[in-house]
Amino acid sequence: MTLLTLRGITKRYPGVTALDAVDLDVEPGTVHAIVGENGAGKSTLLKIIAGAATPDAGSVTWNGRPVTVQSPREALGRGVTVIYQELALVPALGAAANIYLGMEPRRRGLLDRGAMRAGAAAALADLGLLVDPDRPVQELSVAQRQLVELARALVREARLVALDEPTATLTAHEVAHLVAQIEWLRAKDIAVIFVSHRLDEVRRLADTVTVLRDGRRAWSGAAHDIDEPTLIRTMVGRDVVFERRPPGRPPAPEPFLSVRGLSRGWVRDVSFDVARGEILGLAGLVGSGRSEVARLIAGIDRPERGTMTLGGGPYRPRAPADAIRAGVVYFPEDRKQQGLVLGMRIRENVTLAALRRVARRGWIRPAAERDVAVAAAARADVRPPDVERRAAHLSGGNQQKVVLAKWLLTDAEVCLFDEPTRGVDIGAKTEIHRQIRALADAGKAVLVISSELPELIALADRAVVLREGRVQGQVTGVLAPEALTALAFGAA
Amino acid sequence: MSPARTARSAWIARYGVVLALVALCAVAAVFAPGFFSFANASTILLHVSTNGILTLGMTFVIITAGIDLSVGSLLGLAGVLVAAALTAPGLIGAVGVGGAAVIAALIGLAAGATAGVANGALTAFLGINPFIVTLATMTIARGAARLITGGVPIGFPPIGDPAFTRKVAALDALHGFGGGRLALPGSASGLPIPALVMLALVALGALTLTRTRFGRYVYAVGGNEEAARLSGVPVRAVKVGVYAISGACAGLAGVLLTGQLRSGGPDAGMLYELNAIAAAVIGGASLMGGVGSAWGALTGALLIGVLNNALDLIGVQAFWQEIAKGAIILLAVLFDVWTKQRNGGSAHD
Repeated sequence: MTLLTLRGITKRYPGVTALDAVDLDVEPGTVHAIVGENGAGKSTLLKIIAGAATPDAGSVTWNGRPVTVQSPREALGRGVTVIYQELALVPALGAAANIYLGMEPRRRGLLDRGAMRAGAAAALADLGLLVDPDRPVQELSVAQRQLVELARALVREARLVALDEPTATLTAHEVAHLVAQIEWLRAKDIAVIFVSHRLDEVRRLADTVTVLRDGRRAWSGAAHDIDEPTLIRTMVGRDVVFERRPPGRPPAPEPFLSVRGLSRGWVRDVSFDVARGEILGLAGLVGSGRSEVARLIAGIDRPERGTMTLGGGPYRPRAPADAIRAGVVYFPEDRKQQGLVLGMRIRENVTLAALRRVARRGWIRPAAERDVAVAAAARADVRPPDVERRAAHLSGGNQQKVVLAKWLLTDAEVCLFDEPTRGVDIGAKTEIHRQIRALADAGKAVLVISSELPELIALADRAVVLREGRVQGQVTGVLAPEALTALAFGAA
Repeated sequence: MSPARTARSAWIARYGVVLALVALCAVAAVFAPGFFSFANASTILLHVSTNGILTLGMTFVIITAGIDLSVGSLLGLAGVLVAAALTAPGLIGAVGVGGAAVIAALIGLAAGATAGVANGALTAFLGINPFIVTLATMTIARGAARLITGGVPIGFPPIGDPAFTRKVAALDALHGFGGGRLALPGSASGLPIPALVMLALVALGALTLTRTRFGRYVYAVGGNEEAARLSGVPVRAVKVGVYAISGACAGLAGVLLTGQLRSGGPDAGMLYELNAIAAAVIGGASLMGGVGSAWGALTGALLIGVLNNALDLIGVQAFWQEIAKGAIILLAVLFDVWTKQRNGGSAHD
């Protein structure tokens, strides 16, 4: 009998339909892979399976019975365990305490630590992990912590285990071990849902594949019925939303910013050039190292190896302030965390990076500050143009425009955009695209990171594709979505 | 919620503490005999001045989402150093009585500022939690003050001291600053100089916070340290700056108190850091950072001072006064939560 059946699951968030009438059938003793691009709805689907999100429409059936109450607790009780990318373990506690968290065995009102240790050790041994169950899990590797979560699922006698991109940060050896454990779970008649970006693993491991695209089920069937090129086409196959416009003028022939052999952490040996007047796309999957590269260029993190030159001279920023002084600015991915001081007014946010321009000997000139802020907010099309409003009270699109206004004020020569339109409405998106093009037309060197292929295709003159921290290839001319995706997934 | 109601609750959020202070004064004027007089007002100001100066420095630190537990001990250490310098016969002999008073005052100020720089550097460059750093410097400074004095206050020389006259003259010279009054026409008592110092510092602090680049950076660091750093704000320098200001305020308070009492005691300023934190919070500063003002610091310190004074005049036992002060702190925080909810969940209006 089918273990889990979803019918017509729809989930809307403000401004976006994350899932649109999705069906899913999960059989016991099988591995069901869910694939799709960033933002296709995979995470939302997992949340609904975990009971962490309630669908706006549709039905969930478990073991032939309809499920009415949706909560994580209720799903756990049924035997559903979801292992997210950000593992849900208490770092300072040992594996045993984590495995039994919330269901601790007791003896005369006190924790039965012996039983916990024995049970945890047995479950861990089943999964081939030999660690002291009292050792704090923060001292374990990511792969080992994943196994601790799997052990928790075993102890709970889970009947369905869902893993969200479990192999994204593992080494080849660790992946092989995890794959073996998943096959063992399948042999124990447990249903496994496996979300992955690595199509080779999907094809090796999965019995069934479901492809999500823009919140809809684009394809579902037996894994051996689909080959890799078809899989990629199915994931990407959608219309390009943004019209591509030719550059206002050709990029300068010589590079302005050159990056050579840049390495830090898992970013390895990244090299590329950007010219004035050029928009370079930095493509790749989430976690491929795109933001990390931009942060190195912006002086936020320091490279372990590699060199950069700017306008022909050496460029070695030690802090963001150095980069800003040299004319390099970074539009961060997460505007609430990194872009704005939410409690401050628009005016104060806009002038924060260029306060020297409106100050004399350390004293701010209020009239000058106000004029500059009003002009910058108007240039970035902040609506309504009331610069005394607090940033916290603005919509996502307006917040992003305030960040834009702040960096426009610095008159930077190199602009690094990290997901410039994430979570903004279509109107603001068009406006931000216009601004990015205008910067390139004004002779700035521009780098755009985006998980949305249509956005990159519409904006970039050229794209460098990263995969697992390395440059996987380059696409020039009018960007072909298939070529970008093939490089990003490492299939080419 | 209508714009008018939003505007009104924003106004209440902003001036609520001032309203509470005015209301408290009105109630005290009716029920506390002798409250409503110039002499009593100047007494309150004198008593508030120490806490007011500490609260001002504390507010700078709290706006950056920090905390400074060392100010009470730094006040004590500075006071002891001031008294020791004042009564050093060699110093008086070299620079005279007035010179010794000036140098002693500068020593007190510098001691506080230096310790503040150390607090800030440990917090900013080593990333140690400011609660722990300043807890450590609080303990060290208190120990140092007791070590220097041997546990007994330094001050009025024993009869028969060979330098008796000069020492007393030097103590008197500093008393002219810490215990002096500025004569006012039509008033017998005049205005206490420490109160004037406090008011001048609050005005200066308000200008610094609202009109200078440094002040803007203080709010930015407390509001969102990461965004500030990415915007090129020198986050570490700002942190060192606010702890230096807080330390300097503690040093100055120590100078004034030693001058007023003609004595520097090793246990002076005990637990004053908690009064300063309480006053800063009552004055609207948020321990989460990004929110607070110099005038709020003054208002918070005045509210506590007026409450103590009024309860004194009515004849309420000191123990009840402590309970009342605690209740006021709770009320201030509840009021803060209430206005935030009324302002649509924003944490900053």
